Amino acid sequence: MADLYSYLLVAIIIFTIGSYGIITQRSGIKILMCIELLLNAANINLVAFSSFNGSATGQVFALFSIAIAAAEAAIGFAILIALFRIRDTINLDNINILRW
Amino acid sequence: MSYLLLLPELLLISLALVIVLLGLMISDRSKNLLGYLSAGGLLASIVFILAIKGEGSFFYDAFVVDPLSQIFKLIFAVVSLLAVIASVTYFKGSRNQDEYYALLLLATVGMMVVASANDLVALFVGFELASMATYVLAGFEKRNPASLEAALKYFVIGSLSSALMLFGMSLVYGITGYTSIPGIIEFFTTNPQAATGAINIVAMLFLVAGFAFKMALVPFHMWAPDTYEGSPTVVSALLAAGSKKMGFVAAFKVLVLALVAMRADIQLAFAVLAVVTMTYGNIVAISQRSIKRMLAYSSIAQAGYISLAFVAITPEMSQMAIGGGILLALGHALMKGGAFIAVAVVGYMVLSDNRNVKNTDDLEHFAGLGKRAPITAFAMLVFLLALAGIPPSAGFIGKFVIFYSITVDAVIQASGWMLFIVIVAILNSALSIYYYARVIRYMYVLPPAGERIKEPTPYVVAIVLALIGTIGIGVYPEPFIQMAMDAAKVLGV
Repeated sequence: MADLYSYLLVAIIIFTIGSYGIITQRSGIKILMCIELLLNAANINLVAFSSFNGSATGQVFALFSIAIAAAEAAIGFAILIALFRIRDTINLDNINILRW
Repeated sequence: MSYLLLLPELLLISLALVIVLLGLMISDRSKNLLGYLSAGGLLASIVFILAIKGEGSFFYDAFVVDPLSQIFKLIFAVVSLLAVIASVTYFKGSRNQDEYYALLLLATVGMMVVASANDLVALFVGFELASMATYVLAGFEKRNPASLEAALKYFVIGSLSSALMLFGMSLVYGITGYTSIPGIIEFFTTNPQAATGAINIVAMLFLVAGFAFKMALVPFHMWAPDTYEGSPTVVSALLAAGSKKMGFVAAFKVLVLALVAMRADIQLAFAVLAVVTMTYGNIVAISQRSIKRMLAYSSIAQAGYISLAFVAITPEMSQMAIGGGILLALGHALMKGGAFIAVAVVGYMVLSDNRNVKNTDDLEHFAGLGKRAPITAFAMLVFLLALAGIPPSAGFIGKFVIFYSITVDAVIQASGWMLFIVIVAILNSALSIYYYARVIRYMYVLPPAGERIKEPTPYVVAIVLALIGTIGIGVYPEPFIQMAMDAAKVLGV
């Protein structure tokens, strides 16, 4: 069985991919996917710690956060669909009415 | 331990569900009633918060009721009440009012859960409940591109911040093995050697970043001006006055462990954040023509003043500074909520002149407001002066307590940089008078652009309530100072 550090390494790699994507991607859908990656990196952490600490709290926390991530994605897609209906684009570069 | 203490939250949750159900049954035209119903529910919830004394902890200590949670619940309920009363006019005739009020009540419940959370899981769930409801509220005018853009920006940055916060929480859980806040504190006090690890700093960095997005501290503020400008004005009031304070109460609760674990670093970090935030907010606010945007930057500056509460080091002064921070948070909720509602009145006025105006919150529409809408103009005058920190107002009392405690602390510590921070903060207050006074000049000196209008009653009620609160706290601050100090005592720094 792999040790704790390999799990944490996977989590950190996923987290890095997610943050890189949020900075570089311009499509609304891809940004939503990157946010899911960030949340799931945290979930891997929670479950790994939970298993190595021998307490179930982390797994419960991960379950809560999975449910919340699903709700969050639903709201994100709803906003994107509403935006697509009136603007015909979800490219974040074109969504710039509000600026100083 | 009495379940009566949960009454404010239970009432609002059931009211939100009842409103969704009622919305299915009643006709579109009678949906205005739902606004009065939610206002009544919020009023009852405020009464319960004030009337039911006592402390308790529920659900295996995940949820506590104590002076700290009660004062913040009071802030959230009052802000929602103001927003609901103003929404009765703002969303008059809309057929989606049932969803609007249900979401607004759920957002309030989420904020209240954060105020009562004693466990990272409860804190996260409450945070997300409030955030998700406000994402939808920000984009509620779904035919208005600005509103949707505001919602999208708020959503992307908001969910990024919750992901950072969750990652930070997972690291804290990994270090300590606990998710409950007392458990974490106990771990650090029994294992002092664990408090020095580098991983703590990483975890704390993630948590601070997550909270700072909500508090809109520079450099995590980018979403705030766009979101406040694009959202429906009553929702901006809720966001600026309510959901920002949720970030503060979460930070007050969680950063206590940071204060236990690594005292000096976090204070210096917050001192830098506070100074950068207030200076940036005030300087950028000067060049704004849109009043909603100006209020957004001014609210960034106010977040800078409030986060000075984390800076004091000696225990008594630190407690006092946190008390001052809570007091300023209470004052800011009333002043900023009131100011945004006054902007909503101006928007109503401009649209009743001419349906096709795009920027209803532009500075030029405030010309001669003193003649066109005297109640709104006078209230706006008071709110702006209070935001600048002129006595006797809620803004002055809060700022005074914070600055005083930091100054005394600086003298005790003989620390030059803390004194420097107080001087910067006072200079910043002086700077902010410039852009507030410009609005006042427009309202009272420039000639009006039209006839006097009749201000809709719900707006007037909301504005007058905020006005009474702002001046009331300034004239008779003792009970509020007492409440804030009791709340600060809970943190036991």
